[in-house]
Formats: sequence, C-alpha cells, structure tokens
Amino acid sequence: MISTVFILELRFDWIERAVGAYLVTTNAVRPESGAIWEQGKQTVAARQTLEQIVADRQAIQREARGATTFNQIAANVTPGQGVMLSADHFRNLYLNLPPEAGREIISAYELLRLASQGHWRRSYFEKAGDGLMVYLLDAGNRVLRQLKITSDVLLNLERQQLAPVETLEGLAYFENRIYTAAHFFEALEAFPEEVRRNMLPNPESLLQVPGDIVRVGISDEAVSGFIELGFEIVDGSRRKVILIKGHEWAVWRLRTYLEGKKRNAEAPADPAKKWTSP
Amino acid sequence: MTFGARFIRRLSSIFYLALVLAGGGALAVLALFFIAVRELPRVPEPLSRIIETPPTEIFAATGERVMVIGGREAIPLSRVSPHFIQAVMATEDHRFWEHHGVDKLRTLKALWVTLFTPGEVQGASTITQQLAKNLFFSYQRTYMRKFRELLVALQIEAQYDKGAIVEAYVNQIPFGVGAHGIEQAAQSFFGKSAAALTLAEASLLAGLPKSPTRYNPYLHFDRAKNRQRVVLARMVAVGAISAREAQDAAGQALHLQPRGAGTCTGSYFLDVVLKELEERYGPEVVYHGGLKVMTTLDPQLQSWAVESVQNGLIKLDALLGVAGSEGERLDSVDTRPQVALVAVETNCGAVKAMVGGRAYSETEYNRAVQNNRLPGSGFKPFLYYAVFEKLAVSPATVAVDQKIKIPVVGAADWQPKNFEGTYDGPMILKRALMESVNSVAAQLVERVGPDAVIEVARRCGIKSPLTPVYSVALGTSGVSPLEMASAFATFATGGIRHEPFFIRRVEDPLGRILEEHIVGGKRALDAGVAYQLVDMMQGVVNTGTGAIVRRMGFDLPAAGKTGTSDDYHDAWFTGFTPNLCASVWVGYDRGVGMRDTADRGIGGARGAAPIWAEFMIHATDGEPPREFTIPSDIRFENVDAVTGRAAGQWSPQAVRVALREGQQLKGEGETF
Repeated sequence: MISTVFILELRFDWIERAVGAYLVTTNAVRPESGAIWEQGKQTVAARQTLEQIVADRQAIQREARGATTFNQIAANVTPGQGVMLSADHFRNLYLNLPPEAGREIISAYELLRLASQGHWRRSYFEKAGDGLMVYLLDAGNRVLRQLKITSDVLLNLERQQLAPVETLEGLAYFENRIYTAAHFFEALEAFPEEVRRNMLPNPESLLQVPGDIVRVGISDEAVSGFIELGFEIVDGSRRKVILIKGHEWAVWRLRTYLEGKKRNAEAPADPAKKWTSP
Repeated sequence: MTFGARFIRRLSSIFYLALVLAGGGALAVLALFFIAVRELPRVPEPLSRIIETPPTEIFAATGERVMVIGGREAIPLSRVSPHFIQAVMATEDHRFWEHHGVDKLRTLKALWVTLFTPGEVQGASTITQQLAKNLFFSYQRTYMRKFRELLVALQIEAQYDKGAIVEAYVNQIPFGVGAHGIEQAAQSFFGKSAAALTLAEASLLAGLPKSPTRYNPYLHFDRAKNRQRVVLARMVAVGAISAREAQDAAGQALHLQPRGAGTCTGSYFLDVVLKELEERYGPEVVYHGGLKVMTTLDPQLQSWAVESVQNGLIKLDALLGVAGSEGERLDSVDTRPQVALVAVETNCGAVKAMVGGRAYSETEYNRAVQNNRLPGSGFKPFLYYAVFEKLAVSPATVAVDQKIKIPVVGAADWQPKNFEGTYDGPMILKRALMESVNSVAAQLVERVGPDAVIEVARRCGIKSPLTPVYSVALGTSGVSPLEMASAFATFATGGIRHEPFFIRRVEDPLGRILEEHIVGGKRALDAGVAYQLVDMMQGVVNTGTGAIVRRMGFDLPAAGKTGTSDDYHDAWFTGFTPNLCASVWVGYDRGVGMRDTADRGIGGARGAAPIWAEFMIHATDGEPPREFTIPSDIRFENVDAVTGRAAGQWSPQAVRVALREGQQLKGEGETF
C-alpha cells in the first residue's frame, strides 16, 4: 500500500498539489514578512513621505495662487518652503498695491523694463527673516531681479489692507491724532506746494475714491522715514479708511501745526515764511 | 512453532513496526508542517507585484537618463532571448515544466550524495524554490528555512502558471556587479538588451547566478568561461542545442562592457547627487520613492572630461615611470597618481562634469569634492585681489623679486623661495603673477595680511578651513577642485558669485515638482578689480606658467593659474573662459611627490594644465571666441614689465596692463 502511495505520489505529485492548494487558502491571513515585503513596506513608506511633501507643497502653492496680497503670500511661506507664481500673478499683486507702497518694492519703470525684455516668466517667494524675498526668474530659473519685501513694508501693507473695513478709531495708532477733514485740509493749505507734496505724495489716489473725506488721522509711528495718514471716507452708508504715507519730516510739521492750532486756535500769519521746504 | 510461522510472525511485527514508524513520521511531518505554516510569509498577488518598486531615475541636463536606482527593469518573457531561458532551465532546473515546485528525484539524489559522499553537499532547488528563497528568505542555512522555502514554492506552483514563475525568476536573479534581473545584467555586461543576447552571451550569464562573485567575468574570466562551458554542456544534455552549436558558442569571443561602463560614466557626479538627495529626502525616499531628478550633468562634457583625464594620466604615468599594462594597473592603484576634474558653468554655477579619480570601479573616493589638497600658487589670485582692493597698487606696480625673510611672531622667520630657486629683481605685479613668483607674493601678503586673503577666498566660495598664516597666500591650506572651479568662476563673471549646484529639479513619480534650483548670483567682488585679475590670469595662459595651454592648441580667450605644492605633492590648473571654468588636480593619494624619471618635479604646468587644455579644447569645440566683459572703469596701458613705466607697443618688454579709474603708472624706480 505504501509502495502504491509512493508511486502515485511520484506520478501525480498529489502531496505537492494538496499542500500548495491548502497554502493558497491560508495566504490572505499570513504575515507580510520577508525580503520582498520589507522592500514593499519601504516603498509604501517612501510614497507616503513623498505624498506628504507634495501635499504640503501643493497646499502652500494653492494658497499662494489664490493670494491677492503680498501679506497673504508671506503668511503662507515657511522657511525652506517657498512658492512659485507666474510673472502675471506678481504683476497683479503689484498693481493691487497703493502706488507709494509699490515703489518701495520695485519701481514700476523697472518692472516695465523687465516685462518688455520678455525674459521674465515666474516669481519665486521665500521667507527672509520676517519679510519676503522675491526672485523674478526667466524660463531657466535665472534670477533677473531680486527684491526684498521687509517686515516693515509688509506691516504697512497689512495696515492698508485692513484699513478699509475699519474706522479711524479702529486703528490704535491714530488715537488722539484724528482731525476733521476741514481742519486737516485747512492746515495743509497753509504750506507751500512742495511741502504739501511731501505730506501727501499722491493726492490723486484720494480723488479716485468715491465719497467724502470726513476725518483724517495721523499715525504716531514712523517707519522707514514715513508716517501714515488715514483718510476716513463716507460713501453713502459705507465708511472706509484709505491709508497714504507721507514723509516723516513733513507730516511731523503738519501735525505740530494742527496741534498748535488746536491749542491756540490760531494759525501763523504767513506760514509760507515759517515753513520752508528742505 | 514452525519456521514458516515464526518468519511470518516476525515479518508482520516488522510490518507493524514500520507502519507505526511511518505513522509517527507522518504525524511529525504534519506537526512540522503546521509549525512552519504559522510563520509562512504571504505570497503577493499578482506575482508581478515583486517588481513594482518605482525606480529613482537621474537625468542629465540634456534629458538623457544616466542612472536608475532601485526598481527593476522588469520585462516580459517575450523580451528575453530564448537562449537565456533555455540555458537557465538546462542549468538550474531542467524538469521545471514537469514538477510542481519540487524535483523529488533530484532531491533524493542530492540527499544521497550529501549523506553518503563525505565532504560533498549537493543542492536540488528548483527554479520555484530559488524564487521563493530570493523573495522571502534570508541566506541563513537552517532546515526550517529550507522547509518553509519548499512550502512557499509549492504554493507558488499552485497559484501561478509556469510562465509567470519564469518571468518573475528571470527579472530578479542576482548576477553580481549590482545587476538584478536579466535586462540589467545584459545591459551591464554586454551593453545590450536581454532580447539581443546571443547563445554565447546567454550561456555566460546563465552561469553567474550560481555564485555571482566566484564567476564574476571581470575578475575571474577563466572561471566564468569554464562555467559557460558547463551551461552549454547542460543545454546539449537536455537537447536544447546541438553539440556543434555549443562548440561554436564556446569558441565565440565575448565582448564585455568596460568595467563600470554599464552603470554610467558620471558615477562620481552621481554620488554627489545621491548624497544631496539623501540629505534632503532620506535614503528611503531616494531608493524606494521613484524620484525623477534632473541634474546639471552634461554627458558630452563628462565623456570628454573622462577621456582627457585618461589621456593625461597615460602621459603622466609615462613621465613618472609607473605606466604598465592594464592588468597590472588594476592591482596597483596606490602606486599611480590620482586625478580630479570639475567643470562649472560660470554664469550660473551648474556643475557640468566631474571626475573624482582614475577610475570609479577602482576607487569610489571622490577627490573632486572630498579631497582637500594644497593649491600652492593656485591660491595667489585671491592674494592679488585682496592687494588691489585694499592697497594703492595696480598690476603695473613694481615689486622686487629677491630673497626675503619675513619675521613671524612666536615662530621662525618665514623664508619662502621661488620654485626655480632664482630671483629676477624688479618686475611689475602682473608679471609676478604670470610667472608665479613666490617672493613677491610673500611681500604682498606681509603687507595686506593673511586675513584679507582668506576673506577674499571666502567671498569667492572657498569653504574649507583656511589657516590665517602668511603662507596661506601660497596655498598651504587644503581646498577641493570643486571649490577652486567655483571660486575662479567668480572672476570669470566679473565678481558675481554663483553657488555650485548639481540638481536642477526633483519630481515625484507622477511628475509633481518637489524642488527647483533658483539660479541666483551675488556680487562678491568688485567688477573692475576682478577684471584686473582676469587680465593677469590671461597673461598666465598666454605667456606665463600656463602657456602649455596655448602650445596645445587651445586658442579661445581664457585665463587661469597653475599651482604646485611643496615637493610636487599636488599639481593644479584652474582656468576659465567666459562660459566655463574647470579645475584639474593630479597627485598621489598617499602624499608622495611627483617626479619624472629624470627626477624633475612635475608641477601644475606639466601635470594638470595639459589635461585642462585637452578638456577645454573638446568642451569649447565650435564655440566662437568670446572676450571677457571689460568693465567701464578699466583702461589699458602698455608698460615695461621691469620698470612699470609706460612703454611703446613694440617695446620688447611691453606688457599690457588693465588699470582702474584713478590708477596711475608710477614713476621709474618706484617700487611696491
């Protein structure tokens, strides 16, 4: 009988077949162990790591693509993880800036020159301290121009962007320095044109805003030689504040003049003689 | 009891005993089976999953794929030469198509030989068992491991058809030299696809898996050839080929790829790339993540770099009297000089080519980045820049080449000597650099101070530790060829420093960008002063210590500087055109001076500059001459090389010098 079993096994391999078939049924519950599974696990782990890197990068990139201000971009980038945007996107961000703020970052003329040369394709933003470093790049990722947007500039921009939803009282740095529009412009009138240009460098931007200016605030902080002026505008039932920066030395004189008037209710007889341009 | 009855009784006792033993054995096997099954690994479904690991691919700047890491070059059986499949079957498992995972007859025979032939162990693993072993088990030899391997083989046979098993097998067999699977092996050993393997090649490869190290054809060609004959004999024995075909195949010459050529020519470069990637993403992602890495490598430049280095070494070996046959060379790496070459694109810092040694297959130590060797006079441009920037001197200022002794606080006086041992008296600084006069350089560093020299070197990108002693100006602190090439590129760009880089872009397997290199430059040097150095280093190449470059036929505008350390331990030449900067170092690893058979020292001009020249001739082939950009504050004057006074153009000693705005020629006799 044993011989028969042995011969049948030699002929038909029934033990191998039976064992193999049994093992197939238990395959699903057996451990994923051994060299090939270890390699597979490493592949899975590597893929997960990569997915995480890509997801983080894409999230930052997505946020940046939706950004309409430099501050929104600055809030997204982290050290070692910058964002790449198109040249057009940078132009739009730039055009959203008040002209004087834009000039602090790069002159519009220079931007025009870069654009006209036809090499500028993309812009890369990376964290630089509390500010931003922006690289304007050509198609080969060569830096055409490197711009630094300091934390001061970002702070100013943030104020300007927040201001439209606030009244002057909502901005603490105008506290105790809020004047009626009539008083303010009366005082402004008292200075020669060149001084006024330094106090309010871009009055045309105010003219473009619909509504009436009712109050003006002068900031108590000077940043990089400039002091902010806030113009509270009433347009029907809506109020908003437009921020403009004036040169520190000129605004300081204006404020002194306004404070003096407040105290004395008197203006100098001939301010043009007293206040001379630098 | 009769004899017959006793006999039957005894026989039945033996029978029952055998039955009990057989039953006991069967129970033991059954118990062993269930014990083994408990930790049996799961078999992947489908089996092709074993080759699903995405490879990390590294591409050259031209888009050409230069390296694949991990992953397997898995190919269907239809793309494997039938010769190879027949050879493997005949050698490893000729009853593969008949059995169900185990070849019982062969196993019994092997068991018999192992048990009853002293000192001989015979294996009987089928292809399926080998596949199971390679996929799941270590190479530890235990009976339990062997039993589990057998069980997995039985399952694989029950679960998959024979074609799938063979396909999985040929795609994962280790052949040695880092080749896994037949496609990689065919590419590595013969530089062709698996489909194109001839009978001779297929039979050689089929013999390797038995012991990839023992039969490595690069190291033991005769053994590999003998093994090939065994494979061919097996093929004849199983009727796969005729004896005549076997004889023909055995007689055919085998053209193996040059050693290491199957991997790639830029292996030193790729090592740097891999190291950078590992630092950024970790080894797991690099080797299992399937990254796509775009590098700065220019394969054409790389192959010229390799060729120039090899040609240069042949000449150098001959000069040194260490040349030998190729066979001798493999065993005598340490007795021959080594080499490094790095080429950098000046206007962005992209590393285009890198050779880190004589041969990657002999030594993987990358002398282009890891070696800090003394640059000798190659460091003088940093000294002259510091002098021009900080002191009121110009290239036309006269210094006196004479024996000097410079007192050093707390140490013996410093008495640097000229290389040739002679002193030429008064000469302008441009000539002093062109002729690499040490005594003048020593006077300059005494005036400007070693810290100023180090500061300039740092601005140019030298990162190695530099000792603030006078001799630093004569290159007594070690630097790497990569640092030198990158630092000299700062002169070529008029003072704009670009950080050298190897990786342009990294993508994940789906092509999503993980990082991009931003090519930003930073002004490190004044454009006017940097140009004065360029002009002086043009003099080095045109008529100075590097004039061999011109004699070898390189005629594009170029600047550079030779360097030789004490006792000819190191020979350097670092030079550049407006577009490309390359640094070449040659020397012994073990710190022995290089002297020719006539006992003359071999310095930068004889050892390194010829390699540089040959490389640059190829690298710039077809390029139109392009002059270095001359800053607006530079004007040229012809001066007498000895007196520094204005000289007519045709004066025999006239040298053209570049002067910055405000720099005047001194009167006769005024010296530095």
